[in-house]
Amino acid sequence: MKKFDLIGKDMKRVDTASKATGEALFSGDLILPRMLVGKVLRSPYPHARIISIDTSKAEKLPGVKAVITAKDMSGDKWGVFKYTQDQQFLPTEKVRYVGEEVAAVAAVDEDTALEALSLIDVQYEPLPAVFTVDDALAPNAPLIHDVYPSNINIHVKIDVGDVEKGFSESFLVREDTFTAPEDSYFQGEPYAVAAQFDNAGNLEIWMPNAGPHLKAKPLSNVLKIPLNKVRVRKITIGGAFGGRSEIAPADVICAFLARKAKRPVKIIYTREENTVATRQAHAMVTTIKTGVDKEGHVVARDITCRMDGGAYSSTGPIAVSVPFLCMEQAYRMENIRYNGYRILTNKPIRGMFRTHGRAFACGVDTQLDMLGAELGIDPLTMRLRNARQTGDYTPTKSFVASCGMTETIIRTGEQSGWKEKFGKLPPFHGIGIGTNSVQTGFPMGIRGGSQAFIKLNEDGGITVITGIVDNGQGNDNMIVQIAAEELGISPDDVQLISADTEVTPSDPGSYSMCETFIGGNAVRLAAQDVKMKLFKIAAGEFGVGEDELTARDRKIFVTSNPEKSMNIAKAVRIALSRNESISGEGSYWPNVDAKREWVKNPYGQLSETFSFGTVIVEVKVDPETGQVEVIEAWAAQDVGYALNPKVIEGQFEGGFAMGGQGGMLSEFHQWHEGRVLNPTHLGYMVPLAIDMPKINNIIVETIDPNGPYGAKEAGMSVAMSAAQAYSGAISNAIGVYLKDFPLTPDIILKAIEGKGKREQ
Amino acid sequence: MKKEITFTLNKEKTIMEVDPQWTLLHLLREVLEMTGTKEGCGYGECGACTVIIDGEAVNSCLYPVMEVEGRSVMTIEGVALKDGSLDPIQQAFVDEGAVQCGFCIPGMIMSSKALLDKKDKPTEEEIKESIEGNLCRCTGYVKIVDAIKSVAGGR
Ligand code: FES
Ligand code: FES
Repeated sequence: MKKFDLIGKDMKRVDTASKATGEALFSGDLILPRMLVGKVLRSPYPHARIISIDTSKAEKLPGVKAVITAKDMSGDKWGVFKYTQDQQFLPTEKVRYVGEEVAAVAAVDEDTALEALSLIDVQYEPLPAVFTVDDALAPNAPLIHDVYPSNINIHVKIDVGDVEKGFSESFLVREDTFTAPEDSYFQGEPYAVAAQFDNAGNLEIWMPNAGPHLKAKPLSNVLKIPLNKVRVRKITIGGAFGGRSEIAPADVICAFLARKAKRPVKIIYTREENTVATRQAHAMVTTIKTGVDKEGHVVARDITCRMDGGAYSSTGPIAVSVPFLCMEQAYRMENIRYNGYRILTNKPIRGMFRTHGRAFACGVDTQLDMLGAELGIDPLTMRLRNARQTGDYTPTKSFVASCGMTETIIRTGEQSGWKEKFGKLPPFHGIGIGTNSVQTGFPMGIRGGSQAFIKLNEDGGITVITGIVDNGQGNDNMIVQIAAEELGISPDDVQLISADTEVTPSDPGSYSMCETFIGGNAVRLAAQDVKMKLFKIAAGEFGVGEDELTARDRKIFVTSNPEKSMNIAKAVRIALSRNESISGEGSYWPNVDAKREWVKNPYGQLSETFSFGTVIVEVKVDPETGQVEVIEAWAAQDVGYALNPKVIEGQFEGGFAMGGQGGMLSEFHQWHEGRVLNPTHLGYMVPLAIDMPKINNIIVETIDPNGPYGAKEAGMSVAMSAAQAYSGAISNAIGVYLKDFPLTPDIILKAIEGKGKREQ
Repeated sequence: MKKEITFTLNKEKTIMEVDPQWTLLHLLREVLEMTGTKEGCGYGECGACTVIIDGEAVNSCLYPVMEVEGRSVMTIEGVALKDGSLDPIQQAFVDEGAVQCGFCIPGMIMSSKALLDKKDKPTEEEIKESIEGNLCRCTGYVKIVDAIKSVAGGR
């Protein structure tokens, strides 16, 4: 008998037909009765004191229904952590970056709203500003917040083993510095929020989010209304990629406008606002010192990373930690020191990004290649020798329950023909490898676990109620797939109520790659709870034990004698007539160390399990133009177990495009005095269909002991490794190790030229 | 000052009072409340707003509404078959796993439909070129190209 009906199969996603017909509604598509258009006035200065704001003219403009400034709010400061509470949703004293929210209006149409903005008179006193990490750290640099001396927002310090001793015992030690400017999310959907209050003071709000509960709590705090009055509604979401997780000023502003105007309000960000006023990814400078023994094993490593955080904390402590954590998960090492700094500048706010830390990850991998070259060991072997293994502890004390890192390296190596290619390709033709690892969840305080409910209907269908949110990656389908599998019903029998804070229980959100592992486990447990209740009824009817039953094809039957069966609907009806509860409940709390804290105590179990991935790419570089042509790519990840292989492939491919093709070749922001010069697609180059190479997906399964059906997460380790493979391959092609990313034609040409000069 | 235009919208004769300043996208989304056509940028760079006008895929965010006069416009709402079932190209996007967040998908489908309506068996290059102006941040385009190919081969 086959093991599963749905799990492990290429199931067609339940949400995609309505997306293919255009019926799926995104936040910006919502049309509510009497809805107003909201617009935000933004700071033209990178750093300035707000002397006064006069909104009287704007308020008098016909068609304007509400104008808000900081005066309408309590002045409370918000932060993801207690120690990072530094952002007011509308600032009272100062603006700290070009584009920061200053005031907002709601009006009957867009033209009126824009005219009203132009009538708001804000008097500023410009202040000296800092735009780079070096300027921000300079003695006597202006302070952006009084509470962060020297503009140092976060310092994460990790020290394990004896790094100095490790270096002295190493056969070879290198130190190199790697840099990369800011990059951006460029989600398909620009940010949009719609909000309305009913006459009982209940807020309904829709916005792209990576966790409705993560949005609801701060909304409750700032609006001073209880959580049960904050209804973050489910809506189709056009991508998040690590962003859209925390509360955004737009959410709060939209709610305040709706409350003041007593009408629904919708704010749709322009593409420029989506870039400037949501989040960007950090620019960083990473100095890495690594010592290895003769065989290439890392003996000691010391990393200092300085990240440009922009004007506020955002998810700063996480952002500073994650590149390091991914590295320490991927590679074995005993002696390791890390000093990660997040420095504030007068630039837009930076948050977590899917492919976070290219100057970090590519630095680590490039240096590994350099060390290998000096030792006469090829990059693939260097990775095999240092690869994390099942049963290890990471330096910061996370147990690794399952790890297919070695298999991802071996299989990408075999399929790409690494041995036949590395070092044997013609000039300007190269091959490179990257390996990395990601978490499946973080310690998130009380929001760390997920709960799910299942309600059975008398026709045998079910309604699943869960806080899991789908940002586009396929989480809705994952929920349906698991619930239907467990109960032996068809996906069509499953109705989903998710990502709505009015009815769904707590969930960490689609953040930190945890939804399958944590949310999926909760749904599975809820379905098993229901199944046990149904089995109890059927067991009584058939006179067998509950463990002798199977649920499949909408029936419950005796496993050894399938003739003895009853429809699930019948079992439900029996339960109803006996007044027996057959609703199910499941909750999953990951095994993480609750005492672990990003800054104060970065030790202990970080995440219950980790995924591991390897990417290899083969490239040709045109020495005349510096253009890179990717010939073919091989992407492998240990996903634990592939719940839906086609969905996983899609995640590999999308992650490869963002992390590798875009992240390593073309994506970066340019600046002038704190103003981003390329906030739109016109200057910020995301990959196009014609840019993409053939990608060979290699799914590796290790069957995690605690993941649902052994699953972990579906593709982030590929996204993270892709940039490293690109940088390795390009370095290999041109014969120069590159340290400043992304690898634009300019950088590549300069490197080729420099090499030519050296050789003369 | 409003002006009247007459055109065909998803096979139906349509007469509208429009402001000559509007774009076609504004008419579709804001006035007709047909929100299947998306706005990803508003300046002709992302393709989310793609519709088919007289057989050609165009960015409706740049298309002056007055130009629609006398023409035939098809939007994503007009693609599904009469009985409500999906057009083969829509079905292919679903079957091949080409849809993730879905924001780019209406535009992708309109661009690829325009190609397939013109050409029975486009080459892979032609397929990629047809969606060159349609940005997708989720999929890496692989399964989107597969989906279009599957229809092209199946005709
Ligand atoms: S919205 Fe028209 S091209 Fe982007
Ligand atoms: S599916 Fe999300 S942008 Fe294409």
